[in-house]
Amino acid sequence: MKYFYLCVSIILSELYLILKLGRYNDDFDDGEDIAEFDDNDFAEFEDVSEDPAVDVEKEPPPRAAPSSTPIEDDEDEATVENEDGQDEFEDADDQDMYSKYDNEEFEGYEKTNPSFKNTLIYREVPAHLQNSWESYYMEILMVTGLLAYIMNYIIGKNKNSRLAQAWFNSHRELLESNFALVGDDGTSKEATSTGKLNQENEHIYNLWCSGRVCCEGMLIQLKFLKRQDLLNVLARMMRPACDQVQVKVTLNDEDMDTFVFAVGSRKAMARLQKEMQDLSEFCGDKPKSGAKYGVPESLSILSEMGEVTDGVMDNKMVHYLTSHAEKIESIHFSDQFSGPKVMQEEGQPLKLPETKKTLLFTFNVPGMGNTSPKDMDSLLPLMNMVIYSIDKVRKLRLNREGKQKADRNRARVEENFLKQTHTQRQEAAQTRREEKKRAEKERIMNEEDPDRQRRLEEAAQRREQKKLEKKQMKMKQIKVKAM
Amino acid sequence: MTANNMADPRRPSKIFRYKPPNTETNPTLEDPTPDYMNLLGMVFSMCGLMLKLKWCAWIAVYCSFISFANSRSSEDTKQMMSSFMLSISAVVMSYLQNPQPMSPPW
Repeated sequence: MKYFYLCVSIILSELYLILKLGRYNDDFDDGEDIAEFDDNDFAEFEDVSEDPAVDVEKEPPPRAAPSSTPIEDDEDEATVENEDGQDEFEDADDQDMYSKYDNEEFEGYEKTNPSFKNTLIYREVPAHLQNSWESYYMEILMVTGLLAYIMNYIIGKNKNSRLAQAWFNSHRELLESNFALVGDDGTSKEATSTGKLNQENEHIYNLWCSGRVCCEGMLIQLKFLKRQDLLNVLARMMRPACDQVQVKVTLNDEDMDTFVFAVGSRKAMARLQKEMQDLSEFCGDKPKSGAKYGVPESLSILSEMGEVTDGVMDNKMVHYLTSHAEKIESIHFSDQFSGPKVMQEEGQPLKLPETKKTLLFTFNVPGMGNTSPKDMDSLLPLMNMVIYSIDKVRKLRLNREGKQKADRNRARVEENFLKQTHTQRQEAAQTRREEKKRAEKERIMNEEDPDRQRRLEEAAQRREQKKLEKKQMKMKQIKVKAM
Repeated sequence: MTANNMADPRRPSKIFRYKPPNTETNPTLEDPTPDYMNLLGMVFSMCGLMLKLKWCAWIAVYCSFISFANSRSSEDTKQMMSSFMLSISAVVMSYLQNPQPMSPPW
C-alpha cells in the first residue's frame, strides 16, 4: 500500500511539473496558441459591463497583421521573434486600449500622459528669426533718439533765426542812422551795405557796421544758446544760461585817450580781471563796488585810476547802468586791448601783443534762455548807451596828472615785458652757444687725423681765451666808469 | 551842409571793410566741439566696424550728428559728409554681419 501511494504521489508531482513547464513554453509559442493567449492576455482588460462581442470583433483585425509575421519565422529564432511579437502585441494592446478608451469611455477627456511630455525639449528661436519687432526695441529706441535730435535741430535753428531777425528789425533804424555801412561780410568787391546779418553758425550771427565819426567800426555778435544741439539743451536744464549780445567798437588812435576801465557784474569782473591781458596788467586792485558811484550793488568797477572812473561815470551813464543793471554783463573800455591772455610755450621769445583802442560791451538777453522775439526790443536802450559811450570816450580827456600816471603805467608794463623776454632771449642765446660748442667738440673727436685734431683743438682754445680777455676788458671798463 | 554833418554822424569816407578775426592767433575764440565730435565719431565707427560692436556704431552716428549741429558755416561739408557716411556704414555693416538685435548693457 505504501509503495502505491508513493508511486501515485511521484506521478502526480511529475505531471504537475510537466504541466507547469509546458505552460511556460506555451507562453513563448506562437501560432496555434495565439487565440488562447489572446483571451488570457485580455482577460484582465475585460470588464464585466463591456460587450464581449465587441472585444472579440476588435481583437482579430489588429491581431491579423502582427500574427502573420511571427508564424512565418523559424523556430530557431523563436525567442527573438517571440519578443518582437510580444512588442507588437504590446503596441497592439496599447492601440486597442486607446481605441477602446477613445470610443467608449473618454469623450472630451484629456488624459495627460507624462511619459510623452517629458521627452519634449523647447528650443529657443533666435531673436532675429522671430517675426516680431519687439525684439528690436533697442534699435527702435536709437532711431527715435535720432529723430528727436533732428526735430530739435530744426526747431532750435528756426528759433535762433527768428530771434536774430527780431533783434535786427528792432535795431536796424538806429544803426542805419548812425553808420554808413550796415552789414558787410568782407567778401564783396565794393563796400556796400548788405543790410542783413552774417550767419557764422546756427547760433552765432555777426553784423559789421562802419562809417561813423569817432570810431573805425563796430562788430555786433549775437551769441545765442545752442538751441539746435539737443545735448546742449539738456545741459542747460542743469545749468541755466542766457543769450548774449556782444558789441566790439574799434577806435582810431585820436578817438580815445589812454585809460583802462571796466564795469559789470561782480562775477564777470572777477573773471575778466584774471583772463584779460590789459585788465590784469593795469587794473591790479580788486573790483570796487558800484554803490560808491550811485550804481546798483550788483555791479563792480575796475579802473586804472580814480579820475577815469569819475570821468566815465557821469549822470547819464549812471542812469543807463541803473535802469538796465540786470542786462549788463560787462563794459570794458581800453586803449591797450589785446584780448584774453594767451598761454605762451616755454622757450619762445614773447612778442609784445598788438593792442587796439576798443570798447567792448557784453549784454545778457532777458529771459534766461526762454527768450521770445519781443524781448529783443528791450535791448534797444542798451544800443543807445553804446552810441553814447562812443561819443563820450571821444570827448573824455585826462588831465596832466592823469596822463603822466597813465604813461608811467604803460612804461612800467613794457619794461616788465622786456625783462621777461630778455631773460628768455638770453637763455635761448646760451643754449645756442652751448650747442655750437658741442658740435665743434664732436667734429674734433670725429677727426681721424691726429694732426688735424690737435690743430683744431688749439684753434678752439685760442678762441676761448680771446673771449675771456674781451670779457675781462669790459668788466675793467665798467669798473673804471663806476669809479 | 555843416549843420547836416554835425547832426549826422555817418561818414561814408571813413568806411572800413570787415575783416574776420584771425583764429590762429586766438585759439580760445574757437569752439572745439565740432572737431572733437568728428574725431570721436570716426573712432567709434572704426571700433564698431572692426570689433563688430553695434553700440559703438550707433554712438558714432550720434557723434556725427552732434558735430554737424555744432559746425561753423565756413567749414567744409565734405568732412562732415564723410564722417556721416562712415558712421552709417558702420551701423549697416554691423547689422549685416549679425542681424540679431542689440542687447542692452544692463
